[in-house]
Amino acid sequence: MIQLTIDGQIIQVEEGSTVLQAARAANIHIPTLCDHPELTPYGGCRLCLVEVDGFRTPQASCTLPASSNMVVHTNTTKLQEARKFILTLIFSERNHFCPFCQVSGGDCELQNAAYDEGMANWPISPTYNPYPVDASHPYFILDNNRCILCRRCVRACSDLVGNHTLGMEERGARTMVIADFGLPLGSSTCISCGACVQVCPTGALIDRWSAYRGHVHESDVTETICIGCSLGCGIQVRTRDNQLLRIDGNWQTEANEGLLCETGRFQPMVENRQRITSPMIRKHDQLTPVTWEEALQEIAHLFNAAPGGIAALASTRLPAEALYAFQQIFAEKLHSELVTSTEEGKTTAHAAALARQIATPFEARLDALKQADCVLLIGTDLRASHEVASFFFKRKLLLGTRLIVIDPTPNPLNEFAHLVIKATANSDLFQTLQTSPTGDLATAAQILAQASHPVIIYGEGITAQPSANALQALVQYAHHIKASLMNLKGQANSLAASQYGLEKPFVLKGQSITYLALGDEQPTQHLIQQLEAAPTLIIQASHASALTARAQVVLPVTSWLEQEGAYISFDGRVQQAKAALPAPTNVRTNLAVLQALANCLNLTIENTWKEKLNQSTPAVQIA
Amino acid sequence: MAKPKIASDWMAGCAGCHMSLLDIDERIIKIAELADIRATPITDLKEPDESGVDVGILEGGVNNTSNEEVAHRMRKRCKLLVAFGDCAVFGGVPALRNFFTLEESLRRAYVETESTDAEGKIPQDPELCKPTRVRAPQDVVPVDLFVPGCPPDPEVIYYVLSELAQGRKPVLEGDKLHWH
Repeated sequence: MIQLTIDGQIIQVEEGSTVLQAARAANIHIPTLCDHPELTPYGGCRLCLVEVDGFRTPQASCTLPASSNMVVHTNTTKLQEARKFILTLIFSERNHFCPFCQVSGGDCELQNAAYDEGMANWPISPTYNPYPVDASHPYFILDNNRCILCRRCVRACSDLVGNHTLGMEERGARTMVIADFGLPLGSSTCISCGACVQVCPTGALIDRWSAYRGHVHESDVTETICIGCSLGCGIQVRTRDNQLLRIDGNWQTEANEGLLCETGRFQPMVENRQRITSPMIRKHDQLTPVTWEEALQEIAHLFNAAPGGIAALASTRLPAEALYAFQQIFAEKLHSELVTSTEEGKTTAHAAALARQIATPFEARLDALKQADCVLLIGTDLRASHEVASFFFKRKLLLGTRLIVIDPTPNPLNEFAHLVIKATANSDLFQTLQTSPTGDLATAAQILAQASHPVIIYGEGITAQPSANALQALVQYAHHIKASLMNLKGQANSLAASQYGLEKPFVLKGQSITYLALGDEQPTQHLIQQLEAAPTLIIQASHASALTARAQVVLPVTSWLEQEGAYISFDGRVQQAKAALPAPTNVRTNLAVLQALANCLNLTIENTWKEKLNQSTPAVQIA
Repeated sequence: MAKPKIASDWMAGCAGCHMSLLDIDERIIKIAELADIRATPITDLKEPDESGVDVGILEGGVNNTSNEEVAHRMRKRCKLLVAFGDCAVFGGVPALRNFFTLEESLRRAYVETESTDAEGKIPQDPELCKPTRVRAPQDVVPVDLFVPGCPPDPEVIYYVLSELAQGRKPVLEGDKLHWH
């Protein structure tokens, strides 16, 4: 511990702390602009200047290490004058006219800093040099005129996300944030994760939806989770007057540490599918709005006269409560032979079977990935499926973490990899790796052997194979080299669906009715093709699709932002989603629809979804 | 003690700050009881007394040679000069044209505007004042007090006027400080 004095207060801090951190720990306020709690200190804006006894000039407290017996002053007249001067220079350098900026009035850290200093004007006239505005990106706009060169966006892009798209060009007053080597953002290597927009302290990076639609203090914020994939990232959903304004990552959640991907942050903003707002029955070949009562009666009627039985298919985006209700209705009560999920167990079935066989979970949790010094990706396209997970190693690649990709097809993460092996992962490959590797495989084996925290992430390249042999060989190999093994699985509730036994291949065998609990999932072409053979289709869905167009009965349900429920992440964390928006009238939640259906069919269903998650040994510990 | 004399004038602004002043509603009577409200752009008397006033209030930035005259006249005739509203404090909306050349702005306004016919031309009459770059009044004359806001809130205006009317210099901080 180090002991120092700040404004007469004696403070003890850990060695390695900065003066700013020490002051904050003692609740002493030092104004900052370029500092951000999640980013590496940069010392760019100089607003956090402090005076230290024995130092000739004021020092930036964000980068100044605290040392023993230091005597620090944070609010002397000299510093107040210096802060005003610094803010004056920032304001006069570019177009920082507040009245026509969307963040003015509470959301701008620059304006707030000036208010805190009691500045009613800035004494130096602006330069009036115009800077470029880059509006080429589909989701956000970069206005260099509002930029204060704090580099938060650049640091977020490289230190947090590891994508290194944003950087700076030129020097002094001409310095500008650019993408790649000066490409328009829209055609750059940007992956649209939006971390830069989330950390920008001014109106330099604004998203296209929340801009000019009210300040943060005028909107409602709901803390919930993203269900874009099975990572379960924490999000803060900003709404106003029942409209979605913006989605931010929650800095406090471990799953994503504040980061999001395009799917989580921006996809919900561009949702433009047609909403279904009333139950409908096909009459005279035309879907006709009816009451819920009529629609449920029609389903009961169809179920009673189903000579070939009922096939049932649920989306893995449904909450666990709804999936369990679905499983009980169709598998336990109606004894349908084909009850499964839209994923058909392609990401989970082999692993679940293996876990049951060896009666012990064998997959690691996300923490392992954060500590990894070597990551091996096998048959998994993280960019498309679970992008935020890739940030945890991408950002460490320049610090020594090694990345190896084994994939028969080109992987978007290849450009970040130290070693790419173009091969199909089968049991032979893992045996070779373990016993007598040559060429690239020998290099891979050597890198893995040298790592102290190797992590292997496997995906559909292994899990979707017809046989479980490759997975068994992989598990053996991972055990051999003491690597943590991870399968990020599929959609938000992949693991729950697997634990409820919803993981059979969907193959119709003469079933006369198919019940599809699609929720808000966008049906894949594969699913649409599979269901072409289904004679009678009953769907509960939030949006119109090629499938609802040919259904016999359509039941309108909530989309993910409108419903609450439990989601089990890929590594077994049980999380609760909250509703951030009200559903349209006459639209019910997925669970409510299944409960109403059970009532209508005189079936009693339980609400023991949590207990049933552990009825068989899962591939990863569920807690 | 005689009532302090207050005068106001406007330059390159939108008159919105004076409208916000009127939004103090019946409280303007209180101000009139405490102070002698002299020339303003919205009263019959347009120019501040040659004999001088105690407080001069200027709305708007300095946009042309005529505005320069207004600013210099007010400065010469008042003891304490108030920059009233964002245009008078920073240059405001009119100052956005400083990002272009004077020639470009004039061409846009008089020739290229969608509603202008083929005859559009930039006025050249020697009797007209000359347009300049837009400056905050502080770049033309010394300013004593800044009241930012676009427009300043009526509550802030009432506070400022009542302090000035009672011979005190208002301090804008906390809730009273707004730049928008």
